[in-house]
Amino acid sequence: MNVDRRTFIASTAATMLTGTTVTTWAQDRIVKIGMPMDFTRVYTFVTAEYAQGHRDYLTLINDRGGAGGYKILADITDHGNDIPRAIEAYERMKREGAVLIDPLSTPVARALVPRALEDKINMVTTLSGRSDAADGEAFPYVMPLSPNYWTQAGLLIDYFRQQDKDLRGKKIVLVHIDTPFGKEPIPIFQALAGKLGYSLQTFPYAPPGNDQAAIWPQVRRAQPDWIIFWGAGVGQTVALSEAVRNGLKMDRISSSVWLSESDMDVVGKDACKGVIKFEAAAGGRDPKVIQQILSEVVGKGKGAGQEAKVGTSYYNIGVMMAAIAAEGVRKAAEKAPNGPVTGPWLNAGIRSISDFTAEGMLPGITVTSQDHQGGGKGRIARWDGAKFAPQTDWFTANQDLVWSEIKKYSEEFKKSGK
Amino acid sequence: MLYRRAGIRHTSYRHERMLWPLPFDRYLVGTIAAFLIVAPFLIDRLYLVAYLLPWLIWSMAALGLNLLMGGAGQIHLGYGAVMAIGAYSSVHLVRAGVPFEIAMIAGGLASAMIGVIFGFAALRVKTLYLAMSTLAMQYIVDFVIAHVPAISGGTQATIQVPPVRFLGLRIEGDIATYYFALAVCTVVTLFMLNVHRTGFGRALAAVREKDYAAEVIGVSTFKYKLLAFWTSSFIGGVVGAVLVVCYLRSVSPDQFHIDLSVQIVAMVIVGGLGSVLGSFFGAALILFTPIVLNNLVASIAAGAGLSLSSDLRAHIPLMLYGALIVGFLVLEPLGLAKIYDNVRNYFLVWPFRYARK
Amino acid sequence: MDLWLIGELAITGALVGLMYALVAVGIVLVYKTSSVANFAQGAIAMTGSYVAWAFATLMGAPLWVAIPLALVTMFGLGFVIERAVLRHMVGQPIIMIIMVTFGMEIFLRGMMPGFFGVAVKRLDLGIPQAPMFLGEMLINRAYLIGGITSAVLIVGTIVLFNSRAGIIMRAVSDDQGASWSVGIRVERAIAIAWGLAAGTATAAGILWGSTQGVDWSLSLLLMKALAIAILGGLDSIPGVLLAGVIVGVCESLATGIVDPLVGGGTRDIVASLIILMTLLVRPYGLFGREQIERV
Repeated sequence: MNVDRRTFIASTAATMLTGTTVTTWAQDRIVKIGMPMDFTRVYTFVTAEYAQGHRDYLTLINDRGGAGGYKILADITDHGNDIPRAIEAYERMKREGAVLIDPLSTPVARALVPRALEDKINMVTTLSGRSDAADGEAFPYVMPLSPNYWTQAGLLIDYFRQQDKDLRGKKIVLVHIDTPFGKEPIPIFQALAGKLGYSLQTFPYAPPGNDQAAIWPQVRRAQPDWIIFWGAGVGQTVALSEAVRNGLKMDRISSSVWLSESDMDVVGKDACKGVIKFEAAAGGRDPKVIQQILSEVVGKGKGAGQEAKVGTSYYNIGVMMAAIAAEGVRKAAEKAPNGPVTGPWLNAGIRSISDFTAEGMLPGITVTSQDHQGGGKGRIARWDGAKFAPQTDWFTANQDLVWSEIKKYSEEFKKSGK
Repeated sequence: MLYRRAGIRHTSYRHERMLWPLPFDRYLVGTIAAFLIVAPFLIDRLYLVAYLLPWLIWSMAALGLNLLMGGAGQIHLGYGAVMAIGAYSSVHLVRAGVPFEIAMIAGGLASAMIGVIFGFAALRVKTLYLAMSTLAMQYIVDFVIAHVPAISGGTQATIQVPPVRFLGLRIEGDIATYYFALAVCTVVTLFMLNVHRTGFGRALAAVREKDYAAEVIGVSTFKYKLLAFWTSSFIGGVVGAVLVVCYLRSVSPDQFHIDLSVQIVAMVIVGGLGSVLGSFFGAALILFTPIVLNNLVASIAAGAGLSLSSDLRAHIPLMLYGALIVGFLVLEPLGLAKIYDNVRNYFLVWPFRYARK
Repeated sequence: MDLWLIGELAITGALVGLMYALVAVGIVLVYKTSSVANFAQGAIAMTGSYVAWAFATLMGAPLWVAIPLALVTMFGLGFVIERAVLRHMVGQPIIMIIMVTFGMEIFLRGMMPGFFGVAVKRLDLGIPQAPMFLGEMLINRAYLIGGITSAVLIVGTIVLFNSRAGIIMRAVSDDQGASWSVGIRVERAIAIAWGLAAGTATAAGILWGSTQGVDWSLSLLLMKALAIAILGGLDSIPGVLLAGVIVGVCESLATGIVDPLVGGGTRDIVASLIILMTLLVRPYGLFGREQIERV
């Protein structure tokens, strides 16, 4: 095709002018949520499946008549982890009446916090964002609704303690990505080292973590009792492969929540049998909600993506967050059935969620106006070669330590708006 | 017909050096300026905050880099780091209590000093190798900012910008931030419009064309290259400060990575090296293309009922964006400013097209 | 200091460095023949590994068919890139060409995950994971095979440059005008150079893809490859071999020795520091021949 200069420029100009369209929505009882997420840059490993799970659950709920009579419509776009695009998406969704925003990206969530607080729009920061936003009094409109990294760290150490009965004198190694995300749990690990008597050694690796060849020999030499690797995406697969190649024992290695079946697939399903991870929502296809999605949504061809992904870890996290949001809408409708759908309306609803388990998939989530984390419960799961099998019940641990960290930072925010 | 050229007579040298001798040009500039001034009251808030404000700020950055790349002919792939230095210094100073007027200038000075160090590489190598060394410096500055908690703000690594006052006015909310950015942008634009008429600008042009020839006629390349880096980095630092105060409201290291540097270089090149108008056009194109393409693809997919996989749908804007950059560079290497020039030349003699040479 | 640790880090580092060097060979090839700095080399490596994965997994071809197929396809892609994009940019200032390659990088980074899906993919070369011990040092089998393969391929490229096609390319890189005048088809030589560059990038992409999984982050190999290319000399292929080993060893040792002192993450800036120091001290690299215009 011979594209000469004129055609190219003219066609580009024409496309630009038709670019900004605004989709209109029906006007009956609808709650709009905006989900600008990162599909193309850093969070690619989780966003697609998360969005799919979210969409499928909302289809399920809407087909049954909505939550509390309100249908929930989600506007999902890509912001590519770029702040101007994220702000544009946020402003556009705000103009269309979104009362909940879910950016699934820590830098974007941080950038949007002042705007969300000012505009009184609920911002959900799933397993990411500001860890101190769990303090509902300092951040009334920022809702993690999921265990933050400090809680995950506390739970992991507690699991190790349960396994070993006593951690005194043991060696725990943290291999983490050298970014604020990777360094975040270190204060908790260090505080617990002082309390429980183990020694902590940290090995940071340069982002994005595709070359950890120099880290794991050092880990091997340190001869640790427990290893925690804290990364995301490609850093996780490489970490596990290196661990396997260095001959380390899989059942003493643990990850944060960011480990999924596709990572296991890349490393080798059998090679990493025994690896532990933190689970915030039940995995696999057993939970009732997933079964309902399979029969009512995916079975009828309304699924938002490949069927093979239904039931994977990140898919279930998407379902979890959609379920919590829907429960928030239901509670809000209970309190003010005809109340105009606004940010504060939904905020009141979410803050009154009490012991919500989504029919057995979640630990009982209870959100209060002080605790936006939802209780900080999780459980540990182990890879058995085919799936992640839960090893413990839903439990919480070391929350006193976690909350003192949270208060430390949220106090600073409250004082100075920083 | 539109661009009346008859009857324009110059009666003094000063008059002859006018920026816009044709009255139509002057009216055009005046209209745009008037529109920008009353924009907050005319257009929807979404467009103000999400389109106009970032466009003004990124255009300023492109102007600053244009001084270096178009004016002095050096390549700088580390402009993001320069802006980061300005942003961080001014925010830290404001948090320490320094008034914002001084903090902004101090941020610019800090960037200028460190930017001059970048510039020393320009004294040793040229073109591709200069690009590589500025790229390397970008990574080093990134590393330093991220690893020194005193700068980056500790484990949370985000520093909120406290409310600031400029000359007594609070810079908060949509309208005040917009006017502040507009004011700084006007100053920078006026500087860039006039710099090529000054001795400084002419010296830079000499260095750009052939630096040893410039040396031969007495223009010290050492001094002027460093001055170019200094000025450009000063502008970059001030723009960084304006960026975090007006738009981002919080500063964290991952806003100033190599992506930002490449983005601004793309704006300068696609807009047209050395052209002030080109910087504005380039900034608009590079900034808005992903957003517009995203909305376009979404509405096409919804409207035409195409069921693309969500992966593909999210990545098509990225593909089109890359293709657009390549397309513009291949088809119009002189940039958007040249396209504007062509259009203007067409209308200069319209409807008497035969009069065009 | 633990000598065994240093030894292990050094060996692993050298092998990893060789794997990075394979990407750098492409950059040097392209620069030698057409004076273009190819900033899309990382993206081409990523594309190559996606293509190999597609042949191996989506079409179910066995590895010994998929890999040659991928190499041939990417060789063709190199031709196409040179013809469709770079041909039009002849004579433009270098910054334009750099920008074009950046644009290509963005395009490829959007196209591959868009069409093949963003989830990390497995590319299994059948290398056993079991560790191999040499004294107290662990030799990583995957890196060993990767490093040896890269070294073989780079030496192969050097040998190629002594064959007839190689001499043609050397002539073109020396002086395009003179090559024209003796009847050498300059465009074809440049196109072949681009094809070879894409081919070596694909090989590197396949090797890296098997260790870390195939996804967009393979395009980040660019920065390390640039450091190696500049250290070795942008127009010297043997230089790439030595520079790859040096960069790999420096990075490994930095991670092992300096990190505990500084608190982490020095790996990334080792590459940047190497680039800076090379450019300031000896801009044409260890083995580069061309005299860079010094100011």
